[in-house]
Amino acid sequence: MNTFADRFSTTGALAELRKAQKAADEEEFSDAMWGSEAGFGSLAKGVPTFSVPNIPDPTAFLRLHTDDHADPTCKIKISHGTTTLAFRFQGGVIVAVDSRATAGSYVASGTVKKVIEINPYLLGTMAGGAADCQYWETYLGMHCRLHELRNRERISVSAASKYLSNLVYSYKGMGLSMGTMICGWDKTGPAVFYVDSDGTRLKGDLFSVGSGSTFAYGVLDQGYRWDLTDEEAQELGRRSIYAAGHRDAFSGNTCNLYHVKEDGWKFIGNYDISKMHYDGPGNVLGATGGGYGYELRVEGLSSANPPVAAQA
Amino acid sequence: MPDMVPMSVAQPQERQFNPYSDNGGTILAVAGANFSVIAGDTRQSEGYSIQTRYAPKVFRLTDKAVLAVNGFAADGNMFVKKVKQRLEWYRHAHSKDMPLRAVARLIQSMLYARRFFPYYVYNILGGIEEDGSGAVYSFDPVGSYEREACRAAGAASSLVQPFLDNQIYFKNQTPAPGTSHPAHLALTDVLALVIDSFTSATERHIEVGDGLEMYVVLAKGSPLQGLELVQGVQEMSTTTDGERVFIVRRNLKRD
Amino acid sequence: MDHSPMNWGRPRNDAVDLYGTYPIPQRPYNGSKGSFSAGVQHTQQPIVTGTSVLAIKYKDGIMMAADNLASYGSLARFKDVQRLQAVGDYTVIGASGDMSDFQYIQTVLDELMVDEFTAADGHSLGPAEIHEYLSQIMYARRSKMNPLWNSLLVGGFKDGKRFLAYVDLLGTTYSASTLATGYGSYIAQPLLRKAVEGYEDVLTEEEALKIIEDSMKVLYYRDARSLNKYQVAKITAAGTSISESRSAETIWSFAEDIRGYGAQTQ
Repeated sequence: MNTFADRFSTTGALAELRKAQKAADEEEFSDAMWGSEAGFGSLAKGVPTFSVPNIPDPTAFLRLHTDDHADPTCKIKISHGTTTLAFRFQGGVIVAVDSRATAGSYVASGTVKKVIEINPYLLGTMAGGAADCQYWETYLGMHCRLHELRNRERISVSAASKYLSNLVYSYKGMGLSMGTMICGWDKTGPAVFYVDSDGTRLKGDLFSVGSGSTFAYGVLDQGYRWDLTDEEAQELGRRSIYAAGHRDAFSGNTCNLYHVKEDGWKFIGNYDISKMHYDGPGNVLGATGGGYGYELRVEGLSSANPPVAAQA
Repeated sequence: MPDMVPMSVAQPQERQFNPYSDNGGTILAVAGANFSVIAGDTRQSEGYSIQTRYAPKVFRLTDKAVLAVNGFAADGNMFVKKVKQRLEWYRHAHSKDMPLRAVARLIQSMLYARRFFPYYVYNILGGIEEDGSGAVYSFDPVGSYEREACRAAGAASSLVQPFLDNQIYFKNQTPAPGTSHPAHLALTDVLALVIDSFTSATERHIEVGDGLEMYVVLAKGSPLQGLELVQGVQEMSTTTDGERVFIVRRNLKRD
Repeated sequence: MDHSPMNWGRPRNDAVDLYGTYPIPQRPYNGSKGSFSAGVQHTQQPIVTGTSVLAIKYKDGIMMAADNLASYGSLARFKDVQRLQAVGDYTVIGASGDMSDFQYIQTVLDELMVDEFTAADGHSLGPAEIHEYLSQIMYARRSKMNPLWNSLLVGGFKDGKRFLAYVDLLGTTYSASTLATGYGSYIAQPLLRKAVEGYEDVLTEEEALKIIEDSMKVLYYRDARSLNKYQVAKITAAGTSISESRSAETIWSFAEDIRGYGAQTQ
């Protein structure tokens, strides 16, 4: 609200940016990078370092060049649009996501891996900037490992998610965009935490994030119970992502399904969303058989598709 | 709350220097069972002007890694230069070439280091993994990446990618009864598809044309798979007992 | 995180309606936000400018031309400015764009050549090295959001090889057998390409000069920021040479018949 105060304050995002600018003018490489640290990219100094454009308002610069909604002719299009969900139940955590990445109205990819395998016990989901999620959750993985080495025990889901939320909070106002669920099983049992780039961190039983989240919530809420069986829970996750993929233009292609149990996560399968519409997910545990969308719409509308009652 | 409407972070935007430009062109890569093809056209343009008919967009990094860059040419050339420098430092430290999946991760962290002042560059990395399989990694400008079987990027990506989806992933194709789609295509078939992709993109996109450079990376000990019969093929590798890199050039229409 | 479906997944803009207090969520606005700007003012536009530079490859080397005008907006301010400059024994650079930035570049290159000379290591910088050095300077300055507002051509001849390349304020580089900056890239470049492409190895000095003179004449006819007083540089195995200023013969009698040009009364 106050340009003048922003310009001269020593705290807050703009001041952080000014500090980063100053750092950017200094040496980009360290001597260590000539040696065994040659492969470490932006981590060569031990902590991530970023270069920032040397202008009064770098955040506005980033928005000008990367926000295709504010300016459709902007060149650098960062992929968006997603449906992700995770919920906690008696048998662990179900994590289900779609696989579509869009840049404007172009489907940039239909094979995105939106579940990030942080380590064998922790999963993170990807929504928002794909690079932000990939990079920071990989970085989180490094720190989870360091925690194990220092403390001789695995990090709790709570601590891991708090590490991430503190980390992104330190970049608040600089334009990061991520909405993620950190899922795992620790001493407290199954756990799901929602973390986003504003610094919000929420513990809960059930979350869905992304442009298709409203559709997923609709299915999820009507089918969710704590004492779901494993099969029912997996089917609910699949069915929810299908619903979002079907109704949200920015979500779709395929559904990736993971199940976290006491002994770590397990990849359950990849399901084509169109195929689920017509034929169902195939011969998998929990599926009731038949397509999710097609038959129940055309049933009884032609003699080729008589109602079930008439067939009997 | 009328004062919540845009006004606070007030800077004049309209006369700000724009450090980016778009130099057109298209790049493309396809992974096979034990090879990888990485291609790009050689036209460099700005707006409606062709700046030059020969500006390479595809670069050999090592004997097992080839990088294609597309977008803003100055950023692209600088980025390739820095990747090559880092790979050389790695070679000095470890007396070997960096494995492909490590090159991919390096590129991610180098792109992400510019998260707040991005390189306007779409990268596609192709080559051979340590297990001998052909691989393609595609990146967005700030470093998110994915291993894929094929990927087109740049000006004509929305023309080329659907063609590749159909011909390489066999999307919307039904195999004849009792048969199935092949898991991997032969090298000669892939080269033919790449050439067709670029001749077609040249016809329909004004920023594509002039020349085509296709790099072929073969796995260690792999036979030439018909590459020896391709006209004008040149070897670029430093040794013949490891992975091998070849280049094939073709003319594209110049109008 | 902004969860409104229209804004979903994009970086939050604190300048707009945070909590959707408006019926329709606002999108960030990139237009003018007032003129109370802060900080150091970098070169945001060129002031005293030079127009096109042309260059071609021919049998013996490179030929380059630029006129002697430095404009101040639409005012023809300085009419005897040299925009071609020899750098070392093998290279000539030609500059369009901001003349003060070009003078700075000349200073930097002078220092570079002096440093190289005093090193006395038996090496000397050729056109390729000078072009690379220039492109690194130009890219570094654009990355500091403080560009040197020029388009430069670098022509040279060293070790039996011709060299011709371009670099501009963004750090964009390229090489071709004919190059032109500014207006020349629209008006002269097609003429140059037609006359030169495919004949780079057979064009004689006389033929090359004719092509350059014709193109400079066409530019003078159509580019309102040009001057009929220009210099031609050639770089060959014999070294660099930049001519005295010369002018092209032009005919303006046709203008008499064009409404708006001549002295028509009706």
